[in-house]
Amino acid sequence: MYGYGGQILRINLSNGQVTKEPTPPDVAREFVGGRGFGIYFLTKEVPPKADPLGEQNKLIISSGPFSGLLIPGAGKCDWTTKAPLTGGYASASMGGHFTAEMKYAGLDSIILEGISPKPVYLLIDDNKIELRDASHLWGKGSIAVEKMLKDQYGEEFQVAAIGPGGENCVSFAHINHDYGRQAGRGGVGAVMGAKKVKAIVLRGTQSISVADPEGYRKAGMELFKACKEAEMLKEWSSYGTTIVVSWCDEVGALPTRNFQAGSFEDGKNLYGPVMRQKIVITDKGCFGCPSPCGKYSRVQRYDTYVEGPEYETIGMIGSNLGLSSIEDVAHANYLCDEWGIDTISAGGVIAWAMECYEKGIFTKADTDGLELKFGNAEAVFKLIEKIAKKEGIGALLAEGVKRAAQKVGKGSEKWAIHVKGMEQSAYATHNATAMLLAYMTCDVGAHHNRAWAITYDLQVGRERVAPEKVARVIWLQHFRPMFDVLGGCRLQWVELGIDRNLYLPALEAITGVHRTWEDLELVGERIWNLARLYWMREIDGFDRSWDLPAPRFYEEPPASGATKGQITRFEDVQKLLDMYYEQRGWTPQGHPTPQTLERLGLQSFVN
Amino acid sequence: MSPTIRPFGILRDYLQGEKEAHVSAGQTVRQALVSVGIPPEVVALVLVNDQPQEKDYLLEEGDQVKILAVVGGG
Repeated sequence: MYGYGGQILRINLSNGQVTKEPTPPDVAREFVGGRGFGIYFLTKEVPPKADPLGEQNKLIISSGPFSGLLIPGAGKCDWTTKAPLTGGYASASMGGHFTAEMKYAGLDSIILEGISPKPVYLLIDDNKIELRDASHLWGKGSIAVEKMLKDQYGEEFQVAAIGPGGENCVSFAHINHDYGRQAGRGGVGAVMGAKKVKAIVLRGTQSISVADPEGYRKAGMELFKACKEAEMLKEWSSYGTTIVVSWCDEVGALPTRNFQAGSFEDGKNLYGPVMRQKIVITDKGCFGCPSPCGKYSRVQRYDTYVEGPEYETIGMIGSNLGLSSIEDVAHANYLCDEWGIDTISAGGVIAWAMECYEKGIFTKADTDGLELKFGNAEAVFKLIEKIAKKEGIGALLAEGVKRAAQKVGKGSEKWAIHVKGMEQSAYATHNATAMLLAYMTCDVGAHHNRAWAITYDLQVGRERVAPEKVARVIWLQHFRPMFDVLGGCRLQWVELGIDRNLYLPALEAITGVHRTWEDLELVGERIWNLARLYWMREIDGFDRSWDLPAPRFYEEPPASGATKGQITRFEDVQKLLDMYYEQRGWTPQGHPTPQTLERLGLQSFVN
Repeated sequence: MSPTIRPFGILRDYLQGEKEAHVSAGQTVRQALVSVGIPPEVVALVLVNDQPQEKDYLLEEGDQVKILAVVGGG
C-alpha cells in the first residue's frame, strides 16, 4: 500500500515472540491510520473487561500515512490502550521523531502484548528486533534513560521511555520522548510499565513508496510554502502554546486554585513573553516542522533543563496550584517529565489535595507533614516524587482525582475536576458552554485537544446554548483529531491558518486514494462512534451521567476574576447533552443508534 | 504620525478588508481596539513595535501595533 510502512509488528512480551503481518488494506481504507488503527485494534483484540494493567491489555503505537514524509509536522504518533486512569479508551498523541523512524522501519503499528517476566527494552533497528535486559535502566528517570540509550546507540535512534511513575503504574503515568515530548494522557505509561517495558529504541532506514512521487513533492512543497508565508509564523513560533496564557487570564479561562476561578492575580508572571524572556533558551520542533512551538528552557535557580512549559502545564501546575513563578512551574514540569507523570493530571490531583487541605479535610498527618497550601512550590515538588513512587499520600493521588476523591469522600468529590475519571485540562469552563460540552463529551475524558471551542464561545456568546454551538463541537471532534489519524500536526492549520484543502492533494499523491474532507470527517465520525462503543462495552451502566462535568462548573460561580459570579445552569448542561446526542444520532442515554452504526459501517463491532 | 493597528489572520475581518487602522495616541491598546470595532477579548497577543505589550499599554505617536487572534490552542 502506498504511503504506509506496510507491516504491523507484534511483540508478545510474555514469551518473547516477535511477529509481523501485513497492514490490512480494509483497515487502512476504513480507519486510515494513527488513532484510527489504535481504536480498531483495541476493540478487535483486547477482550472486554480486560484489566488495564493485566496481560490481556495491549499498547498499540501507530503512525499514519503522513508520518515521516514531506508534510509539515509529520511527526505525530498515536498510543492507544485501555486506560488505567479511566477504565475506558485512551489515545495519546506524541510529537517528536519517533513515528518517522517507525515508518522507515516499515511499521504502521507496533503492538505490545502480554507481560514480560523481567524489565526489558525493545530494540528495533530496521528488521533486527530484540528484547533486551533493562535491569540497569529500571528505576531511572525517563530523560536520563533516553540519554543513556542515545549515548549507547547513537543520535539517529529514537527513544520513548517511561520513568518511575510508569514502572509503579501511576494511573496517569506518561511516556517521554525527544527530551520533552510525551504520550501524556490516560496512563499509557502505566500500561508500558505493567508490561515491564522500560523503553523502545528505534531506527529505520527503508524508504516509503508513494503513489505519485512528483505530485507528492509538489503538494508537500505547497504546504511548506504556505506555512513559511503565514503571517503569524514568527509570532507563533516565538511563543508556541504560551501565546494563550494572557488571553485565558483575561477572559477567565485560566484555571486558578483548582478551577475555583478563571483569572489568577499573579497570572502576569506566567505569560508567554515573560517566560520567553526569563527562561527560554531556544525553540524546538518535531519532525518536519516549519513552525517550532516547543520551547527549551533552563531554570537557573534549580539548574534544570526542560522542554516547556507548554500552556497546559502553566495552567495546571502554575495558576491551578497557585504558583506564581515561571521558574517554579518549569522545574515542576521537569520533575514530572523525569519521574514520568502527566503534568495535566498531576496538576489536577494536587490541586484537589490542596483544596482538601485548605478546607481542613486533610491535615499534616494526612500529607506526610507537607503544608499543602496553594502556592507552596516546595510541596508540589515533593508531591510529584511521592506520586511517582506511590509513597505516603502519593499512593492516594496516584489513583487519579476521581478515585482519590471517592476514597476520601467528605464531599471532596465536588471539587474533583474531571470527566470520566480524567482530570480536566487547563481551560476553566464556568461560562463557556461549547468548551464545557467539548470536555463533557471528549472520547478520552476531559481533554482539550479534540475540540478547542472556547474562542467560538466568545465569538457567538459564551453563555449561549444553541444547536450551532453543538454542531461546532461535533465538527471539531471529527476534524482536529484527523491529524492524529494522518500522523501529522494540526497546529499548522490551527495556528498558522493554512488552507486545509492543501492537505488533500498531498494525501492523494501519497496513498493513491482520492479523499475529500467530507470523506475524512466521516472516518473521524466512525472513530468517534467506535470509541463510544468501547466505553459502553467496558463500563457497565455507561450512560449520560458519564458525560456530566464537575459540579463546580454549574454550582459554584467564581468569587473573583473575569468570570466572577458566572455559571452554567445545570438545566443548560442537560440541554447541551440532549442536542449533542440528537445531532450525533445517539439515544437520550448517549448510545449510538443502530441506524447511526449502520451509516458508519460499525454494525460488526456490536456484540 | 498616529499609531496604527494591524490585525492578522481572522482579526482582519473586523476591518472589512482594510489592512490597518489609524487610531489616536494617548489611549490604551484596549481602548483603541474598541474604537475600531475589535473586541479586546478575541486578541491573544499585542505587539507594539514588535515587542509584546499588555492591552493596557498607552499608545504613543508612531507606534505600530500588531494583533494576533486566539485561534486553536494547544
